[in-house]
Amino acid sequence: MQTSVIISPEFLEDLGLQKVLEACRCRSPQGAKLKNRLQFFSNDSRDALQEELDAIGRLILLVRANNPQITEAQTSLSRLRELKGTLTRLDKGSLLNDTEFFELKSALSIFDRLGKMKSLLDAAGINFDDTKSAAALLDPAGTGNPAFHIYNDYSPELSEIRAQKNELESKIRQATGPQRKTLLTQRALITAREDGEEENIRRQLGEKLAEWLPEIHNNTNNCAKLDFRLAKAILAVRWNGCEPQLVEQHKPAILQDAFHPLVAATLEKQGASFTPISIELRQGATVLMGANMGGKSVALKTIFLALLMTQLGYFPSCESLQTPLFDFFAFEASHEGDLNRGLSSFGLEAVQIRNHFRKSKTQKGLILMDEPCRGTNPAEATTIVQALCNTYGNSDSTFFIATHYHVKTAPGIRFYQVRGINPDSLAELPNYRSAASKTDGTEENSATDLSSMAMNFYNDDLTRVRRIQSLMDYRLEEIDGVNQAPSGAIKIAELLGVDEELLHEMKAARQEDQWQHSE
Amino acid sequence: MDAFAAGSSIDLFQLTGLQDLQSLAIIGLSKNAGKTTCLNHIIATWQEAGQTRPLALTSIGRDGESEDILSGYEKPRIYVPAGTLIASAQAALQNSDALLEILELSNIRTALGEVIVCRALSDGYVELAGPSVTDEISSIERLMRQHEPDCLFILDGAFSRRSQAGSGMSEAVFLCVSAETSTDPEVMAEMTNFALDMLQTPALPEDTANLFAQATRTNPGKRTIMLSGKVPHLDISTLDTPASVGYGKDIASALKPDTHFLYLQGAMTDRVLEELLSETNFANLTLVVEDGTRLFIKPNSYLKLRERRVDLAVLTPIEVRLVCLNPTRADGQCLDSQPYLDEMRKKLPVPVVDMGPRNV
Repeated sequence: MQTSVIISPEFLEDLGLQKVLEACRCRSPQGAKLKNRLQFFSNDSRDALQEELDAIGRLILLVRANNPQITEAQTSLSRLRELKGTLTRLDKGSLLNDTEFFELKSALSIFDRLGKMKSLLDAAGINFDDTKSAAALLDPAGTGNPAFHIYNDYSPELSEIRAQKNELESKIRQATGPQRKTLLTQRALITAREDGEEENIRRQLGEKLAEWLPEIHNNTNNCAKLDFRLAKAILAVRWNGCEPQLVEQHKPAILQDAFHPLVAATLEKQGASFTPISIELRQGATVLMGANMGGKSVALKTIFLALLMTQLGYFPSCESLQTPLFDFFAFEASHEGDLNRGLSSFGLEAVQIRNHFRKSKTQKGLILMDEPCRGTNPAEATTIVQALCNTYGNSDSTFFIATHYHVKTAPGIRFYQVRGINPDSLAELPNYRSAASKTDGTEENSATDLSSMAMNFYNDDLTRVRRIQSLMDYRLEEIDGVNQAPSGAIKIAELLGVDEELLHEMKAARQEDQWQHSE
Repeated sequence: MDAFAAGSSIDLFQLTGLQDLQSLAIIGLSKNAGKTTCLNHIIATWQEAGQTRPLALTSIGRDGESEDILSGYEKPRIYVPAGTLIASAQAALQNSDALLEILELSNIRTALGEVIVCRALSDGYVELAGPSVTDEISSIERLMRQHEPDCLFILDGAFSRRSQAGSGMSEAVFLCVSAETSTDPEVMAEMTNFALDMLQTPALPEDTANLFAQATRTNPGKRTIMLSGKVPHLDISTLDTPASVGYGKDIASALKPDTHFLYLQGAMTDRVLEELLSETNFANLTLVVEDGTRLFIKPNSYLKLRERRVDLAVLTPIEVRLVCLNPTRADGQCLDSQPYLDEMRKKLPVPVVDMGPRNV
C-alpha cells in the first residue's frame, strides 16, 4: 500500500479512507486484521481482484435477500478469538494450558458451523477444510458441550486417580478438626498425581492437534476472508456500491454518478443532497475547471476514493464504474506549507511533482492534483501547469488536475468543467447589499482583544453564501478547452454585494487580461 | 468463642436471609479483616444446608492466595464444593486445584491474565483474581448467570478496594472487621458503628434521585452536579472538574444560596471535605455520593458537616446484613472475641458474629 498510494497523512484523513475502513465492520480479529492490511490490487493481481469482486457481488445477493446464514455467520465470526499465540505455541511444541485448548475447541466448532453454510461459502468463494477429527480430540465423549477440561476419557489412569480423589473429597466434607487436616494432606498428594497425569495428556493432546495445524491455519484464514468479504458486501449495500468493471489497461476509467459516501451522509444530515459526478478519465491529462465554490475538490476526492476503493477490493459508491488497473495512486493537494518546519508550500509541491513524474516513467499512475502552484506567481504557475499537462498528455498515466490557471489545448489534454450556476437561477436571486453600516467603522465592539481581530461573518452573508451554493450545479461536463469560460469568481463577488466601484475595476481588469490572451 | 462458631447454617440464614439473596458483597474494613474466612463460612454453610442453587464467586482484584503477598503471613484459602462457578484470572487459576471446567473466556484482562469463567467439577482450592472495574464485574456476573441464572453471586472484596463493591452491584453486604482496627473493644465498636453508618447512608428521595439519574445521563463525564431552586422545581447545573480533590474551592464557588443538593462523583475523602468546608457557602445542603462505599471520611469531618447543616445521601443504598468479627491479627495473635462482640452488639443495629476460624 505504501508505495502504491502516495498521499499526505493530512489528505488521507480528508479523503475519508479511514472512515471507510471503520464503516466496513469485520466481526473477527482475523477479518479486521486482513482489512487493515490494505491489500492493493494492481494489474499483476488482476485475477485475484476479479475473484474478490465477484465474491462480493454474489454475497450482496444474499445480503439483499436477508439470507439467515449472513447473521448466523457473523455471530459465529464474532466469537472467534485471536489464535495466533496459541497456534504458534502449538507449532513450537509448547505445552498448552486448558484455556488454550478451550480456545481451539471453540475455533474448531466455529469452523464446523461455518463449513456447513454451503450457500454462503459458495457465494463467498471459500472452502473450509474438514477439521471434525481435530474437534473430536477436544470432545472425546462427543457430547457437543462447548466447555473444556482434561476429561477422564483421555486416560484410564486419570479416571482412576480422580475416582480416588473424589472419594477423599466426600470424606473431607464430613470431617472436622485434625481428621480433616489429615484428609486434606492426602488430597494434596493425590492432586499432585492428578496434575502429573493431566500434564501427560496435555502433551499428547498438543501433539495430536499439531498434526492439524495446516488445516487450522487454512480455516482461520478462511474466516478472515469470509468476514472481510461479508463486511464489504454489507457496506456496498449500505452505500449503494456497484461492481466495478475491470477493463484493459489502455482503456479509460469511466465513472457514472459517483458519490462520496461520507460527504453525502453529512449533506443528508443537513437536509441537502450530493450531486453525483460522472467523468471519463483517459490516459493523458484531464483538466477540471470551473467556478469557485463549484465543488472541484470534492469531485477530485470522490473520483480518487472510488477508484482507490476499487483497487483495494471494495465496491465503489457509483452507479457504474469501469477502470483499468493503475500501478500507483497519487493525490497532491496544494498545502499551505509546513509552518512548523518553515518549509515553503511550493518546495514541498515540487518534491511531489518530481516523485510522481519519475514513478510515471515506468508505471501507470493515477495522479490527481488539486490546484497546484496555488501560492506561486500566476504567470509562472500557468507555465508549470501547462508543462505538466503537456507532459502527462503523452504518458500512459492518467493525470487529472483541478486548476484556475489557463491551460491551452494540446494533444492528450481534455477539459472538463463544473457546470456552475445556471443564469436562470441567478435571475431569481434578489438584489443584495451586505450590512454596509456594520463595516463603516462604527462597530459596536471596539475592543482590541484577539477574538475581535479575527474576521467575523454576519449571518446575512453566511445565508447568502449558502444560497448561492444551493444554486450551484456540481455536475461535470466535457468542454473543448478553447473557449474557457471565466471561473465565475467575479460573478460570485457581485452576488455577495461587493461594492460597485470595486466590481467595475475587476471587470475592466478581466477584459484587459482576455485581450492579452487572445493576442 | 461465640456459639455461632459452631457454624449452624440455620443461624446464618435466619440472621441474614442469605438463602434468599441473588448477590452478596463481602467488604473488609481493613486489611486482614477476615473476608476469606467469612467466604469460607458462607460456602460451608451453604453446603451444610443442602442448598441447590450454585454459588458463583469472583473477587475485586486478587484474593484467596495462600500467602499474603504484602506481609508474608499465611492466609486462609478458599475451598469450594463441586458445582461452584468461579471467575478468576488465568494465572490465579493455575494456583487452583479443584478440577475446573472452562465455560467462558471473558475478554477482560487483568495483570494476572484474562478472567475466565469456570465450573468446579470437584471440590478443591481456588484462587480468586477478578476484574477491578465496576462494569467488568457486572459483565462477569452476566456471563455467570448465562450458565447458572439462579446462582448466588458473591463478590469478594480486596484490601482498600471496598469502594468497588457498591454501585448497586450487590443486593446485600457482609462487613468484616478485625482486631487490626483497634485493640479496645469500645473504640472498635464505635469505629465499626461509624463505618456502618457511612456504608448505610440513606438514599435520596426517589424523585430527586431520578433528577440526578437524568442529569448524569445528559451530562456524561461531569463529576459535579448541583440541584438548585425551589422544591420541587429544581434546576440542574454541572461543573467540569477532573477530580474533586484540589477543586473544592471551584466547587464551593459554583454553589448558589438555593443549592439543595450537591452530587460529587468518586471518593469523598477528608481532604475533599476540608477544601469544601473552608468555603463558607458550603452549608445547608445535602451532599450526595454514588453509594456508601464512596465515603472515606473520619468521624470528625462528619461532625463538621453536621455543624454546617450538611446532610449526606447516596444514589444507591447499601444494606449491610451482617458484621463479621475476626479476632485474629495479621501476625497470628488471636484475641478473645467476647468483649468485642458484647460491645459491638450493644452499639450496632445489625447482627454481629465471630464465625471462628475456617482456615481450610
